[in-house]
Amino acid sequence: MSDIVISARGVQKSYGSNHVLQGLDCDIGRGITGLLGPNGAGKSTFMGLVLGLRPRQGGELNVLGVDPEQSGPELRAKLGYAPEHHDLPGDVQAADLVRHIAQLHGLPRRAATERASDALWQVGLGEERFRPVGTMSTGQRQRVKMAQALAHDPDLLLLDEPTDGLDPVQRDDMLALIRRVGREFGIDILLSSHLLEEVERVCDSVVILANGAVGHSGALDGLGSAATGVKVELDSDPQPLAAALAAQGAEAVIDGHIITVTGHDAAADLIRDLVADLGLGLRRLEPRRTTLEDVFIEASR
Amino acid sequence: MTEARIHDRGYLAYDGPRHGPGRAMVVLGYHTVQRVLGLKRSNWQKVMPAIALLVAFVPAIVFIGLAALLPASSDLDLGDPAGYYVPISFVLFLFTSFVTPEALCTDRSSGMLGLYLASPLNRDTYLASKFVAVIAVLGIMTIGPTLLMLIAFTLDGSGPDGALDWLIEFGRVLGAGLAMAAFWGSLALAVSSLSPRRTLASVAIFVSLLVSAAVGDGLSQGAELGDSFALLNMIALPIETVYRIYGEVNPDGPPIRHVETLPILFTFLGLIVVFGWFARWRYQRIEVTG
Repeated sequence: MSDIVISARGVQKSYGSNHVLQGLDCDIGRGITGLLGPNGAGKSTFMGLVLGLRPRQGGELNVLGVDPEQSGPELRAKLGYAPEHHDLPGDVQAADLVRHIAQLHGLPRRAATERASDALWQVGLGEERFRPVGTMSTGQRQRVKMAQALAHDPDLLLLDEPTDGLDPVQRDDMLALIRRVGREFGIDILLSSHLLEEVERVCDSVVILANGAVGHSGALDGLGSAATGVKVELDSDPQPLAAALAAQGAEAVIDGHIITVTGHDAAADLIRDLVADLGLGLRRLEPRRTTLEDVFIEASR
Repeated sequence: MTEARIHDRGYLAYDGPRHGPGRAMVVLGYHTVQRVLGLKRSNWQKVMPAIALLVAFVPAIVFIGLAALLPASSDLDLGDPAGYYVPISFVLFLFTSFVTPEALCTDRSSGMLGLYLASPLNRDTYLASKFVAVIAVLGIMTIGPTLLMLIAFTLDGSGPDGALDWLIEFGRVLGAGLAMAAFWGSLALAVSSLSPRRTLASVAIFVSLLVSAAVGDGLSQGAELGDSFALLNMIALPIETVYRIYGEVNPDGPPIRHVETLPILFTFLGLIVVFGWFARWRYQRIEVTG
């Protein structure tokens, strides 16, 4: 299998005069990839294009080696999709629902029945598999959605806000499950979310959509390794120090008692000397690392 | 002896056979038939389909019983085959209004539509599966009783004379039943495509049929604008079409009986196409992600 799971070049999608995607370019590799973006950035639209549910207005899109618009049914047989919404038919048993979806993806009935049971065990609903979905909690329904996406052994799993509506404990469990599916089961995952923290926790790489295009894409490993300035925390008003730093040519941004200093090669030494000269109390002095939040904010501008 | 326990079943890749989109259509169609008939659902969901099937089959069973019990020489009127569709139409009217919206509406309200379209199905194959499934269920009522009567009367020796007559009668039974099922089924899908709410779709089908009957008969008979306006009566149109398939005219029917056969067939088929096109047009525009 190629190392590129999804490749997009100049992808455009509009709804009337609303240009949702305006020349989207990205390569999504193997592993777990987070698809981030503010509301309206085009995450769900991109998911729809990857699934081949919508025609695009321009550009090239390649998913698992084929164009979703040309080979939709064949491609979707290899995809697993867990939608964002929590609605599922309430009067259907979880095992029946998962088996039904597995059959739709081409599995013979007996194999679908066995794999539905296995998938529900894998997501932690083995004992609950014969319960009607309508009697299940939001967390359990999220797991049912995960099971139906997994049962037919997809090559690529598309998860749309899989932790939506979960409490912190359920969220941790779901993120652990996603990690397990990606690492142990060897299934590539595209995880759409607006929660930076959960993407940082489970994903290998990230694609950030903003204003209908890719604002940033790359591995998460690189983030945090390079220092981009210094953070200093004082026990008093930081204004005098900020003014002194500015006078020395450094950029100082105040946030409460913390000053973020950039634009000076020897910022740490400079801060040490100025703090001593001004007689201020220094609580913390550390290199400023680039976080996903920094990247997200920068990409969203 | 030590106790063996499985702590982790592990994840196994699937490398067995996989069927294509055609099989997915069959799976969805079979599932839809089960849902509409209330199978694998609560007893309450089975009531309406069970009553409808009972009402559709009871007259046929009574006819067969009389034919079997009474001597062949008796002057038993086995009834006009086309006339059998008049009481069936009442059952179909209620069944189409209150049961068939289950085929489409629930998939949208329960979010299943998104899962279906994320499978090898697409919007067209999804709708085609649903249409065939609804026709299959309605066909139990439109073909089942008349076919049962044909077989029973044939075995009793009171059926059509000769193989050719029998085949012609068999063709009429199938043709009339399928035509009626297709009409009611396409109407149900078209109206159901308007809303994910089953109750709303039921009321809309019920009211649209009543309004069409009132408008059609009102314009043709009340306002005396011409018999052609009777074609607007969507309750009478399929019944009259069935009569024409049998080469007859409904003797007790509404004003539509005065209309020529060709306009009736043209309107009948045209409406099926329009209903199907409308449902497809609606489903091309439904968003399922996000």
